[in-house]
Amino acid sequence: MHPHRRKRLFNIILVLLFSTSGIGLILYSLNKNLDYFFTPTELKTINIPEDKRIKIGGMVLENSVVREQSKVIFTVTDYKNYIEVVYEGIVPDLFKEGSGVVALGFMQNETFYAQEVLAKHDENYMPPNLNINNDN
Amino acid sequence: MIIEISHFLSILATGLFLLVGLISFIATDTKYIANLISRTFSHGFLLLLISFVIYIWLAITDNFSVQYIANHSNTELPVFYKISSIWSAHEGSMFLWIIFIGLWGFIFNINIKNDEVLKPKSIGVISLILVGFLLFLLLTSNPFEIILPIAPLNGADINPVLQDPALAIHPPTLYLGYVGFVIPFACAISFLINGNPDVRWEKLVQKWSVLAWVFLTIGITLGSWWAYYELGWGGYWFWDPVENVALMPWLAATAFLHSLSVSIKSSHLRVWTILLSISVFSLSLFGAFIVRSGIIDSVHSFANDPDRGLYLLMFIGIILIISLSLFILRFSMIRPIGNIKRFSKESFISINNIFFGSLIFSVMLGVTYPLVYEYLFDQKISVGAPFYNAIFIPIVLIASLFLFFSVDSKWSRNLNFNFFRSPIIVSIILSIASVILLIYFFQTNNLTFLISVYVGLLIIFRYCIEIFNSFYFKKFINPFSAIAHLALGLLLLSISFNSLLSTERALSIRLDSIEEYKDLKIYFKDIKVVKNSNHDSIKALFFIENSRGNIVELSPEKRRYRTRGQITTETAIHISPLRDIYITIGDQLDNGNWVVNVQLNYFIRWIWFSGCLMAMAGIVLIFSKRKV
Amino acid sequence: MKFLFKSTVLLLPLAFIAMFYILLTEEDAYPGTDYKTFDVPKFQLENLENTKLIDNDEIKGSFILNVWASWCITCRVEHPFLMNLKNQGIKIIGLNYKDERSDAIQWLDKYGNPYEITVHDLKGSLALDLGVTGAPETFLVSNGKVVAHYQGEVNDAIWSNVFLPIIKEKGMF
Repeated sequence: MHPHRRKRLFNIILVLLFSTSGIGLILYSLNKNLDYFFTPTELKTINIPEDKRIKIGGMVLENSVVREQSKVIFTVTDYKNYIEVVYEGIVPDLFKEGSGVVALGFMQNETFYAQEVLAKHDENYMPPNLNINNDN
Repeated sequence: MIIEISHFLSILATGLFLLVGLISFIATDTKYIANLISRTFSHGFLLLLISFVIYIWLAITDNFSVQYIANHSNTELPVFYKISSIWSAHEGSMFLWIIFIGLWGFIFNINIKNDEVLKPKSIGVISLILVGFLLFLLLTSNPFEIILPIAPLNGADINPVLQDPALAIHPPTLYLGYVGFVIPFACAISFLINGNPDVRWEKLVQKWSVLAWVFLTIGITLGSWWAYYELGWGGYWFWDPVENVALMPWLAATAFLHSLSVSIKSSHLRVWTILLSISVFSLSLFGAFIVRSGIIDSVHSFANDPDRGLYLLMFIGIILIISLSLFILRFSMIRPIGNIKRFSKESFISINNIFFGSLIFSVMLGVTYPLVYEYLFDQKISVGAPFYNAIFIPIVLIASLFLFFSVDSKWSRNLNFNFFRSPIIVSIILSIASVILLIYFFQTNNLTFLISVYVGLLIIFRYCIEIFNSFYFKKFINPFSAIAHLALGLLLLSISFNSLLSTERALSIRLDSIEEYKDLKIYFKDIKVVKNSNHDSIKALFFIENSRGNIVELSPEKRRYRTRGQITTETAIHISPLRDIYITIGDQLDNGNWVVNVQLNYFIRWIWFSGCLMAMAGIVLIFSKRKV
Repeated sequence: MKFLFKSTVLLLPLAFIAMFYILLTEEDAYPGTDYKTFDVPKFQLENLENTKLIDNDEIKGSFILNVWASWCITCRVEHPFLMNLKNQGIKIIGLNYKDERSDAIQWLDKYGNPYEITVHDLKGSLALDLGVTGAPETFLVSNGKVVAHYQGEVNDAIWSNVFLPIIKEKGMF
């Protein structure tokens, strides 16, 4: 092979190698760091490892909020299934019983330990696609 | 009547801009045509400006026959917020966005002489972009729509969260930055159409691009500061999709400025520079698309209207097809002559472009992947801080290391790389010494922290030596680069210290009692209900004593706005150079205690200071006489 | 190599645009829309204005059922559109959701009343049976049956894309 062409081929291979490995690394870390979003019903059917950070969403069940020292314990429901959530810290302004909430954290023995609790910024609205219907 | 005049003027302006666009592409380039284009463009902009001024006047005088003003303003607002209410929602912000494109075009138009080869076509491109946006405004989101038959008396109540000085100036600054890149974009297109590789379009656009970059930097810094004190979460960056779409143009713009500095001097990296100028502008448009189409759920997103999204998407598509096809057609013209020397400044900057490219790619992936994933697998996912940290920390650190070694590199010359040159050795030794001190002092073995601090210090020491040399030995220094990179070093340091030291704790505290947290004694002195004109608030009073016996008073509030029952948290922050004491008040517990969130945010001011310093660097470049 | 580079530069952004086009024009471009058909649940609640009891018999025929509250900002945004519908002669029943009676009446006095009847659902019981998650939400009722449900602000785009097709199909109003 002509040395010039060989050099070019070498360059092409180098570029392809670098770009694919770079993109591969980025995709790998993306996959590792995704937060999956579940509703209480989905949580009952899927087993989630304790060290996997997930998001759960639903409504805060009426009369379920208990405050213990600086902890807040409440139940999130999609009106079919229920899940207990423990959170240490101040819940956001828009957090209310009977309104929508999204929590980020870990599942441990049927209890969800939240690191972050978010109420939707737009106070009238629920996370979309969380079709909460009471058609038992 | 006056509303119709304003409406009519903007329609007229659209017509004039269309005319400018057509003339610039159809007519042959003569002096007469160049003058005609310049003059017609200015007239078009003046019409548009008058239309906007009338619109501001309508807002100030509470003309609630205009639906948009009726929905977003109120008679009781101060004049300042009546004006800022114009850009508090979709239609008005698009109007402002258009005014800003026009303004950039206008200033460019009056500053550049008519005999500049690229000028007529650049103005033509800007005009056509204006036409695209004006049609979008008038057809899909008309701010001039009138309420019939009776106008409401007092207008609406505007969201109290949005009544805030920082928020009133944050969007305009950001928009100025976003749309400012219309100038390099238009010039790049004009250069490609012109087809003569000897035309130096890079020189023409440098100061404009830096100015736009300054606005973008300030806008993002302001947004971060606003979120910190207003939302009550205490962070400075949340990797929220809307923040991310503002970050992408900034990253692209920063890479563009680097690449531009090479292309100005030689024909190298022209491919990068032109591609980047196209990407900055299309990423800005993409940001507008994401925010306006409501395709992404975010705290910032506006009303959902797929039609608007489709229009913007098609607009971006057309711009991309035209500009990229041009790029490919002229590819052989912009290819460099000869290779880049190894270890020259050019080589470092091309590596830098690759780093920035990967950052942009990752953010783009983080923004779009959840959408695609949900579409394909019907499973909602989100991409949060861990992903961005995993990408940004290593890339930024490696890029910064490259920066450290690039300080000694020369333009288009091999670097006689001598590892034992004193500035390098001195900075390395100083940084290692500081890091050892830090390990001893903070008792930490957090590797990410130590490496980031080390790299940050390397940059700071290196550039300090440079600055010192330039003062005492009159060694050449590029002040823009030195200040901006110092700011980067400072940013790395402050972010590292912030994430290592900052702590937060929710305390349950009884009235008239003292709780201890870290070195602080927190005395809960008082809590009372205060009635104000439009809200009731629960106002607490704390005396906080630190280990040295200094006492500060802080009174966080919780407000309930009467008209809409919205509750907002007003944080109380004690600012000192090294740390903020940041207090928010929560709910009362059954036993009468109150939940109070105390955060100690270290070095957070320095993060914003670094942002401002970067912007300052840009201002230095704009006002420097020296040709860079 | 050159060809590869050129085609990536052109095709990658275009693929991106195409992807967003698909995402935007996806069937579910109006999230919050539900076309499930079910009977209007049995209820007995007070009329907002005169506290008289109302039940299913008093709201017959075809109408729009709009869930609103005086504390809801989006309802205020939606309000001019409802007034518009009323002026076009469309019958709208209001469901005042978890709201103080005095606040709600004041709101209607201030901005205008688009509703033929407003049902006062202080505890949100009827709303719960309807599957309401917040305010505003809007139901299309045809002869005692709910035929469409939309969560969020109804505006021109939503009206003509979500509601009008069904109204035309059923020949309502």
